[in-house]
Amino acid sequence: MVITTRPGVADQQIDALRERLERCGMRTLAVRRGTRVVVACLDAPGAAENSGDWQEDVNIESVMAWTRPYRLASRDASPGGAHDTTPIRIGSAHDAVVGGNGIVVIAGPCSVEGLEQLRATAHGVRNAGATALRGGALKPRTSPYAFQGMGAEGLELLSLVRQETGLPVVTEVLDTRQVDLVAEHADVLQVGARNMQNYALLAELGRIGRPVLLKRGFAATITELLFAAEHIMTRGNHDVILCERGMRTFESATRFTLDISAIPVLKRETHLPVIVDPSHAAGDAELVPALAWAAIAAGADGLIVEVHARPEQSRSDREQQLSLPAFSAMMRGATTFAAAAGRRLAHGAPTIVEPPLYVSRQAALRRRPVAS
Amino acid sequence: MSAPCRNGRDAAGDMLASGRAAIEQIDRAILRLVAERLQVGEAIARSKHAAGLPVLDPAQEARVVRRAAELAREAALPEEGVRELFWRIITLTRRAEDHAA
Repeated sequence: MVITTRPGVADQQIDALRERLERCGMRTLAVRRGTRVVVACLDAPGAAENSGDWQEDVNIESVMAWTRPYRLASRDASPGGAHDTTPIRIGSAHDAVVGGNGIVVIAGPCSVEGLEQLRATAHGVRNAGATALRGGALKPRTSPYAFQGMGAEGLELLSLVRQETGLPVVTEVLDTRQVDLVAEHADVLQVGARNMQNYALLAELGRIGRPVLLKRGFAATITELLFAAEHIMTRGNHDVILCERGMRTFESATRFTLDISAIPVLKRETHLPVIVDPSHAAGDAELVPALAWAAIAAGADGLIVEVHARPEQSRSDREQQLSLPAFSAMMRGATTFAAAAGRRLAHGAPTIVEPPLYVSRQAALRRRPVAS
Repeated sequence: MSAPCRNGRDAAGDMLASGRAAIEQIDRAILRLVAERLQVGEAIARSKHAAGLPVLDPAQEARVVRRAAELAREAALPEEGVRELFWRIITLTRRAEDHAA
């Protein structure tokens, strides 16, 4: 049930209305829209919804049943109008906002392989205009014999390079036991396609105060993706960024089939920002720019792209990672496509005015005086 | 030339350390108060149980959240966040009451 008040209702009357609803066992979320307040009711038991006496309250303009099965993620609970997107800040830089007018580009290697590789790639993507850095430290690989990532050491390197470049860090979390560790290093916690329906992990992410980048499972419907977002949001974390990354189809020319239509469908269904991963969809670096531009044309709020300073030396997904010159060329095209869509690319990280002050966490811990 | 810069950084470092120490003290105080709240909840649950009254009281819970929201507004705190926090505290208290009853 979604209740819209009449214009100018006093805070105390909104409080009283919410108390009435919450006494019936509902949880409410109130959002101000101009002079009206929209009260979204969750966990609504049928009896209270059907009682009908809400219509008689003079402060209430309308009472609507939820029009979609998912709630907090749906347009019904949108803080803005029918086409607005809820902006989600992903770092401290002024323009690092997903879902604003600026299209955000998150770029970096598939896996963190070492400091020099990460540093070279991060500076390269930053110079080409990327807004944030991606890099996997904990890698879910199809084969247990493939490189599984650098683990905690890789997270330390991401923190170090964030300090040097000012780029917010986006990295994947695989397991409920890793959430606190990854949150210590990451600005955005990514849920990979294989984990989209790992409900225990989604619940853990719901209790932390970090944005979550939720990738669509390669065999999941759009509705299932939105329910996965709902699992995070009902636990209290409303900063969810959705990501289309390709579906499994009968086509074998590409690794997955990028579902471009998911972008306008999601834009119609949800107020959450939508970004696209052309790298995993294509599985082929040559195809990545065309898919990235198509995503911008279709209304995506951002891209997450795999880039490696030396793709030929990469330890994972070598064939789908762009070289730095290829990434720069993709960004030039993206600027044009963004302008055609009435948007612009988000500005990159702010200029660094001082050399990095970073000391590794272990070094800092070693230097900390012993408490008396 | 580098001396004022280093002094500035030392001052910022000192301020950060004292700020973090203050936050740790506040966190400890919050935890003491949460523990106290749970103990009071348990005592209420035991007396309700002894009197044959239902332990769960949704109307009272809703009143508590409303009062917290009003206080949050007066203190210019984020109202929705405070409501969320109080529903969490109420959930913790409910669990403690279940054990006690």
